[in-house]
Amino acid sequence: MSEGAGEDQILHYFLRDELRVINSSLPRKRKTLEELLKEEIPYVLTHDGGSHMFRKSELVLAKKTLGDEARNLNLPILLEFLPTEKETVAETSDPVAIKLIAKLLGIPEVKPLRLYPTHLKELRSKIGTLIIYLLSPKTVSSL
Amino acid sequence: MSQQILKVRPTKIELIRLKRRIKVARRLHKVLKDRLIILSQELISLIKEGAELRQTIHERLRKCETLLADTSLLASPLMVRSYSEGRIRKAEVVIGTRVVAGVRVPVTDLEVEPGELRPEPYPLTLQEAGKCYGGLMKDVLRLAEIEASILLIGKEVSRVRRRVNALENILIPRIEATIKYLTMKFEEREREDKTRMKKVKQLLERRGK
Repeated sequence: MSEGAGEDQILHYFLRDELRVINSSLPRKRKTLEELLKEEIPYVLTHDGGSHMFRKSELVLAKKTLGDEARNLNLPILLEFLPTEKETVAETSDPVAIKLIAKLLGIPEVKPLRLYPTHLKELRSKIGTLIIYLLSPKTVSSL
Repeated sequence: MSQQILKVRPTKIELIRLKRRIKVARRLHKVLKDRLIILSQELISLIKEGAELRQTIHERLRKCETLLADTSLLASPLMVRSYSEGRIRKAEVVIGTRVVAGVRVPVTDLEVEPGELRPEPYPLTLQEAGKCYGGLMKDVLRLAEIEASILLIGKEVSRVRRRVNALENILIPRIEATIKYLTMKFEEREREDKTRMKKVKQLLERRGK
């Protein structure tokens, strides 16, 4: 048997592991901003059995920024990594989330909205608990 | 530096297998690198915020203690105690978790319910000291959250970086070198075959004459 035969399995294992690590923290069910603001401790349950808590000050900031549209915002906002691109890019297609992010960052509203590391850094400092990253197995397999 | 090559049989099947393997390795490398960038950014911003917050806390603590020392000239210890007990009715610390690119880090929130204390009978310095300590509570809690997050994210960054480096410096170059070696070997074999065929042709032609 050739030397690198086991390497195939190891590489696939690591790739699967990365997908699992990133995606296990995805929410089981997303909640609207309105629902979360009513809760005493705003949180959602995740697929790995844990919870993802939101900071109340960030929820209030989102409500203030969106105004009436706040009731349609589903949280957490899912940002999908695009490993197909050369640079690090995350993307979102939710129209209300796009509106919020564009307003907070002062960038034009485009669908889908692509966010680069500088945007992500600013976004994390403003609404760090409202966003979650995901990695689509479909995108990874198309690489 | 010459790159070590894998011990493989020089067959076309093996070459196809290696090409498939390098595709997976590059895919994994990209995924890991993206995650590493996000985690490193988070780590750097947390370290900066933590250092600034620590300094702020030290300065504020000094200020609060000075205010409290000034108060002792105007208010009795009993008065200070009754003020500190009545100022806040309930203070709740909510500790949860959030996820940053696959790493679960703590989130804290402080909920303070002010007491129904009339501030008028108390000296102004005591009220200021109370406010000062109240603000300090929030900062200390945030610092605890930041420092715990730094530890957790730092651990993950080193783990991911190890994998990225292994792929970048060992695995991918080794597979690339093996693919190059096999391609060259096949080309050489092809050239040899061509020359052999030419020779055979020449020989047959000579015999025919």
